[in-house]
Amino acid sequence: MSTARDAIFQAISTANGAPRDADTIAAEAMALIATPDVLRPGFTGQDNLDRFIEKATSERVTATVSHAATLAEVPGQVADYLTRVGLGAQIALQPRAALRDLDWGSVSVHHTVDANEPVAVSIADLAVAETGSVVFLSGPDAPVLLTFLPLHHVVVVGQGQIRRHLEDVFEFVGAGQASQPRNLNIVTGTSGTADIEAKNIRGAHGPRFMHIICVADL
Amino acid sequence: MKQTSEHFKAHVTAALADPTLKIALNRTTTLLRERRAQVIADFGEYAAAREAAQKIKDHTLDNLAHYLAMFEANAVASGAQVHWARTPKEATDIVTAICKAEGARSATRVKSMLGEEIGIGEALAAAGVERIETDLAEHIIQLAGDPPSHIVMPAMHKTHEQVAELFREKHAQPSNSDEIAALVESARRELRPKFLNADIGISGANFLIADTGSIVTVTNEGNAELTTTPPKTHIVTVGIEKIVPSMAHATVFLRLLSRAAIGAEITQYTTFYNGPKRAGDADGPETMHIVLVDNHRTEMLGQFLRPMLRCIRCGACMNHCPVYAAVGGHAYGAVYPGPMGSVLTPAMSDLKSTKDLPNACTLNGRCNEVCPVNIPLPDMLRSLRARQHQAGLTSGMTRGGLAVWGWLARRPGLYRRATGLAMFAMRVWSMNRGRIRRFPMAGNWTRHRDLPQPELGTFMQQYNRRSRK
Repeated sequence: MSTARDAIFQAISTANGAPRDADTIAAEAMALIATPDVLRPGFTGQDNLDRFIEKATSERVTATVSHAATLAEVPGQVADYLTRVGLGAQIALQPRAALRDLDWGSVSVHHTVDANEPVAVSIADLAVAETGSVVFLSGPDAPVLLTFLPLHHVVVVGQGQIRRHLEDVFEFVGAGQASQPRNLNIVTGTSGTADIEAKNIRGAHGPRFMHIICVADL
Repeated sequence: MKQTSEHFKAHVTAALADPTLKIALNRTTTLLRERRAQVIADFGEYAAAREAAQKIKDHTLDNLAHYLAMFEANAVASGAQVHWARTPKEATDIVTAICKAEGARSATRVKSMLGEEIGIGEALAAAGVERIETDLAEHIIQLAGDPPSHIVMPAMHKTHEQVAELFREKHAQPSNSDEIAALVESARRELRPKFLNADIGISGANFLIADTGSIVTVTNEGNAELTTTPPKTHIVTVGIEKIVPSMAHATVFLRLLSRAAIGAEITQYTTFYNGPKRAGDADGPETMHIVLVDNHRTEMLGQFLRPMLRCIRCGACMNHCPVYAAVGGHAYGAVYPGPMGSVLTPAMSDLKSTKDLPNACTLNGRCNEVCPVNIPLPDMLRSLRARQHQAGLTSGMTRGGLAVWGWLARRPGLYRRATGLAMFAMRVWSMNRGRIRRFPMAGNWTRHRDLPQPELGTFMQQYNRRSRK
């Protein structure tokens, strides 16, 4: 195995010549993205919340959005959503203290996620105004499969967590290996496929429906 | 898959005679071109982003050893095991050895072109591991026993009517409807339990992030995360050219990739993976292996094919290629079809058996125009033709004809007289009917279309006449 590695590095060195010093390379790499605004879609005059909602509810992303003043209003809105889409009063809940501590009233809550889970409720760590995406960082209280197995995904987004561009998400997480979560999932609407005749169909393997509850004061 | 590019001409004849294929290609490539045009028109910063993307790739290739070593160190620090493979055989040996060590009986797989390139399907079959393709298109072609016909939409050659028939035959609980939505639902039902019961999850990577050691997958279906999270082992097979310096650099490509590939601002699921499950994590694989594959990439680095290593596998070049749109992906007889495939296939095999591919191009330049990293595909196809000629692979007729033309072209006076004479002869031959039905040595042309009657004199004759006035 190490022979393959040596041979590959040898072949690269034959093609490229001697490597340059790390600082020069780093400076050159940074210069290439020094002015990110000229490389990404601008939306001056639109604030993060407006842009996020416009993109999240667009034809392409297909999420629906409702608003809540505080987290305490979330269980009521979830119950309304369940009634609206005709689902029973039970949810798979992301095992986060902020969600667990809420009064879920008549909605029965579990923290495991089944293969055919009808609905899951989670808090997104961040959201992205540019694309209408929500972002999850995996961890002990944030299972990855909660985002992918359910048919309906209700996502709680704090208004203050909406970042302007994709780069801002990475800045929030921090540079370098040590600050990365195991998984960083950027989710933009529902699971879709265009694999048959390029027609866009929802609910391929992941959720078919996404509802976002925007909380003003999380 | 077994490469059959040497039978390109026979494949083309068969493809052109297939009316269903024509319908499938038309339905898909038209939609993809329209969607891309719309989303690029809405992206005012596209030109600058494309230029930056090209420069970032060139910078990364210039410093490839530096970034690969950095990636390896960071991935290892996150707990992943990094392997290196020079050839497809070395890569699949590593994968099957891991499967064996884990006692794996089944593996879910999320589509990656590198996986196709190294023949991972055949290798798993030989190792007795059941392979479950989870991308809808790969699922379709796995059931049909077909090779992929497009790098983003491998089942592009199938109409929904054909898929409906296939699912009725192969699915446990097929749908009665031919509607595309019902077909998608049927695949969801079929694959769902398999995601959770596989021993191994195999993916590729759209990007490798050097300064974090992350691998990145981009999907619309969410099948990558469902493939890589439940099994106890996650194996990544990826080409060494997929590396970028940092997450901030990757964003430039995320914006371009989905726009060029499917006409969307971003794909539904973009995931960065850093090593295996951590203490306390609710889910995730216990081990993560990353197999970094060369397979002729370091060779390409040292020659005229170097810009091809910028490729991010979006498929825009084939969606916009008139030849691809007429014959489809299977005609190319290789893993990578279309313009990028006509460059990569010779580079990854040999000039001789792939001789027809660089010639199946009208040099209209659309592939280069729509390429999000500005790969000069037409120039490279032309260079490959020149190399075929140098290697003596062109026909005696072509070589003789070019030799005569070359001899004449180096003698301008004689050349002008000869072309003037030829033009005069063609005018006489046409008998002023405006077109020529048959002409000596032009049978291949006139069998399908007429030659126009030449204008009054050659360009030089007309030029001289006008300058005298």
